[in-house]
Amino acid sequence: MQYHLRHTTTYEYADAVAVCKNLVHLTPRETASQTHQNFQLTVLPEPDFLTEKPDYFGNRRHFFAINSVHYALTITCESDVDVLPRVLPELSRSKPWDKVVTDLAADRSPDGLMAFLFSLPSARIGSSKQLAQYARPSFPPGRPLLEAVRDLVHRINTDFEFDPRATNVHTPVTEVLRLRRGVCQDFAHLAIGCLRSLGLPARYVSGYVRTHPPEGQPRLVGADASHAWLSVTDGVGGWHDFDPTNDSMPTDEHITVAWGRDYADVCPIQGVFTGGGQHTLSVAVDVIPAEELQDATPRSPAQSQQQNQTISAVGQQQSQQEQSQQQGQQQSQTPRILPQPRQPQPRGQQGEEKKPGYFQPPPEIPWDV
Amino acid sequence: MGVARGVGLPPGVGGVRLTLSMISDPTLRSTPGQSLFGSYAGDPDLYDEIYAEPGVLRTHWQAFAQATSKFGVQDFSRRWAQARRLLQENSLAYPDPRNRDVQSRPWDLDPLPLILNAEEWRSLSDALQQRATLLNLVLQDLFGPQRLLQGGDLPASLVYRHLGFRLPLASPATPPAQMLHFYAADLARAPDGKWWVMGDRSEAPSGTGYALENRIALSRMMPTVPRQCQIMRLAPFFKSVQDRLAELAAPHGENAQTVMLSPRAGSPHYFEAAYLARYLGYPVAESGDLAVRDNQVYLKTLGGLSPVNVLMRRLNTDECDPLELPGQAAGGVAGLLQAAQSGSVTIANSLGSGLIESPAFMAFMPKLCQRLLGEPLKMPGVATWWCGDPDAKRYVLEHLDDLTIKPAYRRRSRERDDTKELRQLTPEQIAKRIERTPERFVAQERVVRSIAPVWNETATETGYIALRSFAVASGDSYQVMPGGLARVSKSHSPLELSVLEGERSKDTWVISDGPVPSVSLLNPAQADIALSRAGADLPSRVAESLFWLGRQVERAESQARLVRTVTLRLTSDEEADRLPELPPLVRALAELGQIEPDFVLDIMKPQLPAIENQLPLAVFDDTQMGTLRSLVSGLTMQALGVRDRMSIDCWRVIRQMNERFVADPATADLADVLEKIDALMVNLSAVSGLVVESMTRTQGWRFLKLGQRIERAVQTATLIHAMVECPGMNEHAPLEALLEVADSLMTYRSRYLSRMKLGPVLDLLITDESNPRSIAFQIVDCENLVAELPQDQSLRGTPIEQQLTHTLLNRVRRTDSQHLARNYEAGASGPLLLLLSDVSKMLPKLSDAISHKYLIHSGDVQRLTELDTESDTDE
Repeated sequence: MQYHLRHTTTYEYADAVAVCKNLVHLTPRETASQTHQNFQLTVLPEPDFLTEKPDYFGNRRHFFAINSVHYALTITCESDVDVLPRVLPELSRSKPWDKVVTDLAADRSPDGLMAFLFSLPSARIGSSKQLAQYARPSFPPGRPLLEAVRDLVHRINTDFEFDPRATNVHTPVTEVLRLRRGVCQDFAHLAIGCLRSLGLPARYVSGYVRTHPPEGQPRLVGADASHAWLSVTDGVGGWHDFDPTNDSMPTDEHITVAWGRDYADVCPIQGVFTGGGQHTLSVAVDVIPAEELQDATPRSPAQSQQQNQTISAVGQQQSQQEQSQQQGQQQSQTPRILPQPRQPQPRGQQGEEKKPGYFQPPPEIPWDV
Repeated sequence: MGVARGVGLPPGVGGVRLTLSMISDPTLRSTPGQSLFGSYAGDPDLYDEIYAEPGVLRTHWQAFAQATSKFGVQDFSRRWAQARRLLQENSLAYPDPRNRDVQSRPWDLDPLPLILNAEEWRSLSDALQQRATLLNLVLQDLFGPQRLLQGGDLPASLVYRHLGFRLPLASPATPPAQMLHFYAADLARAPDGKWWVMGDRSEAPSGTGYALENRIALSRMMPTVPRQCQIMRLAPFFKSVQDRLAELAAPHGENAQTVMLSPRAGSPHYFEAAYLARYLGYPVAESGDLAVRDNQVYLKTLGGLSPVNVLMRRLNTDECDPLELPGQAAGGVAGLLQAAQSGSVTIANSLGSGLIESPAFMAFMPKLCQRLLGEPLKMPGVATWWCGDPDAKRYVLEHLDDLTIKPAYRRRSRERDDTKELRQLTPEQIAKRIERTPERFVAQERVVRSIAPVWNETATETGYIALRSFAVASGDSYQVMPGGLARVSKSHSPLELSVLEGERSKDTWVISDGPVPSVSLLNPAQADIALSRAGADLPSRVAESLFWLGRQVERAESQARLVRTVTLRLTSDEEADRLPELPPLVRALAELGQIEPDFVLDIMKPQLPAIENQLPLAVFDDTQMGTLRSLVSGLTMQALGVRDRMSIDCWRVIRQMNERFVADPATADLADVLEKIDALMVNLSAVSGLVVESMTRTQGWRFLKLGQRIERAVQTATLIHAMVECPGMNEHAPLEALLEVADSLMTYRSRYLSRMKLGPVLDLLITDESNPRSIAFQIVDCENLVAELPQDQSLRGTPIEQQLTHTLLNRVRRTDSQHLARNYEAGASGPLLLLLSDVSKMLPKLSDAISHKYLIHSGDVQRLTELDTESDTDE
């Protein structure tokens, strides 16, 4: 399956931004079942400096800096991706999950160590008893791993409701478990957390998924979105993807961009800037199957719903309680990864501007260093 | 002779009995029983640093005992009191005047040093060299190929769970260059005389500055004693630090610039960084002073960006780069890691070097040493069990009562709280926590430390010793400081807590077994130094601090003078309602924010008691904005940030002012106000005088001066405006009061004797360019100063700040004071008020123009996406 991929992110700032520096994970990975051509990363205003360097997991990662005053930043990423249909494994013939756990502990090869890293708690996914409890029913002793994971993913899809208002990018996995609501990122984190709480390695995959416009209607421009799912090792060297949001195993409708321990490792755009005041973010994603490209250019953007969000400055920390109280009208603080089917994100409120703190003495003593 | 080589000779062997009768010094004999160590009682169960057996001094202490015996207790106490005063005045550490809870120097120096002999130090030195070499190899492997994990020498679980193991720092393909350049270890001595390592410090080890300061203090206190004892000097160690940094700078070319990357001014670690930077001769930069452009680090200066090639890092890794290494704290230099990885800047210690100071690694050191160096550890570490290992966990749970439980991963700056928290738990609670997350805990053998005498006013008591020892990379190995920082506490409790219980420090002396060569940190005389006068390389932040320091000094002075004038009136024997100058003065007080505006009424009498009560509050209350006291705090704060740029005397005056201008606002009365303000005025004048006399006329001076000039013009304009708004300002008494506040009464009298008229007063305070207190004088000076600021030659046209001073000066020069006065007397105060408000409006514009152009290179950094560094749903 061939796709033309276009992902545009625009930041608009209330005040002038003097300098910004960004790290982006936007380039699709080359995998056994995925290749791409004509990759193009366009940044406006033109960056003064741009480099590319792979990260720890081998994802392609660009770094760019803009050193002149600007009021908006647009990052557009385009490429033609070729996705081969993946051969789905026979789930019932995979290694028993408990055997995977014990084998992993003994495997100190570089691949084994990498898998082990994916079995540990990470920045966004802590371990907890509740996660293990939720996972248990899918994991009776000796059950083939992939079968068990498929079951877990199915249960998450059934038990949890897709609801972009219920969570934000800071909602911890345990809270998602309690709410039984969330978006694709939450479901991927949740499934990963469940697996890790049993000692199993699982990685977070960020990318895109093909959407099918309703019968007889044209595709809307910019209406697609980023997506997230998870990948699990079978203990014999293979990794297999599972999509809890769509209750499926990806074949040729998922485009993989990057993988890591969780969202924090592969966040599409991560940056710092000085000045700017409040800022708003809009994201437009198109995943256009090649056969549609020939038909017609997509419809005018007038109908497309842009995803508008306000990001508040770093340093503004809210307690979980406050966050849940304000939900429904609460702004998201980072570009969210939206699941399929796409639903409009609530329009964000303006975040509070950070007060410049001239001096904040840390409560520490010289002996600490 | 060979007493106590640190290898546990039985007490008494080779010891020399040094009793009073043996000392022929007449001073000591005349005060029998007054040996410095007279009241010190040893402990037979512990290693005694000073006595080989009761009454028998260890050999390497004899020279000290002899040299100090001639002081006697009294003289020793007197010298010590004097030294302490000096130490306090010159100390590195100074508490943040706005936050008195932060301890800046949590321990006092003890005048009795810890003394080691050369042989013992050599074995310590060997052991530390080995340990630093080992730690560096482990770091290089973990952030590189991770062979230690593949080989099973270290559990992957230990490393991967460590929050300090930041993936952006790790790259198996290109193993890192040397990561550990500066290292420190905390040591303790067991009862058998052997030293043990209690902990490693590899991030940005602190303490060398304090060791240096302690040495200087003791040398001043008893100048001849160190020489008589033949102690090894510290300078060679600091020379090695310079050499190391020069070595790191060499590949970057001849003009490579080395900068000390320090924490923010006011943070407890800032003092040491600034002190060391000054001693070693490097500029201090906070992260806000640096910027990265195209993978090159630059220092932001008034003249533009100046490249930096080596950073001596005193910041924690997670405070260094908000882009790739986001931490809890804001700040840092975005892109620093990229720059370091591109090789354009060398950071010492490398980012991430703190990983290995976590206690969990101590459990594996013997094995790692064998594996990487093929030899056993030369100095054992305190026995440590990492509970992430199931066998170790079982052992620990069975021996909970005999072991000290600690967090396996050191969380910098939270260690004390973590330890304290653990100490409050019952063994059952601890066991439960270990069971739940075993990998987060280590257990260590309880450490027994050695004892030594500690001076306590006039006698000695017993203290427990821990020694922080320092090493710097040198060639293929490390150079160890011949000395160190001994920490003394009154109990055995863990080091992390002993600070809270009143810890003290000791200088550490290593007795040389040969003559002590002298080493100087100064450049060799033959090397030519390029002359430099420009000063455009001044960091923008420093210029900004100086500018605001200037403004605050001036503001404090103007307001102090106003408060004093009012207070003098209120305390005079004249009835207050017969003082026509009081209403305008009170209005000025309100206008300048010193008192509530409610008091501004023409009828003074009923309000007087209230004003009398209000005034001490308005002066001494630290919690309110705009009070004199808070102005003094603010300017002390500004001064702290640029301490390394001002003369020591200037800092001393500011310090003194900050410490003396204190009174309890609740109980202070007008007499206190007068007394304190008089003293404050003297200090403020001293600061201004020192600025004029001792600062070179470079950019830093210009910004300070500009701050002062702008502020004085603002204050004077506001003062006149507030007072002339009151009716009757053409009378004698109010005019005299105005002149008094504006510090121009003497000049006026010398010109006009006692005839008070508004016209001449306005001329003197506004238009007279020869009066250093007039508005015109300030503006003329501003115009001269801004003309000297660095300009971008490529830009055409008159710079905005020059346009502004020009316009201001024209406005004032075109003013006819007599004319304004006549109008005012005829009831038309409009033109005068308009002039004053014009001036008051344009001055802030000038201040902003200067700030924008020269000072605000750096705003606070924001993040596009906010990422938590740690989430933990366990607790």
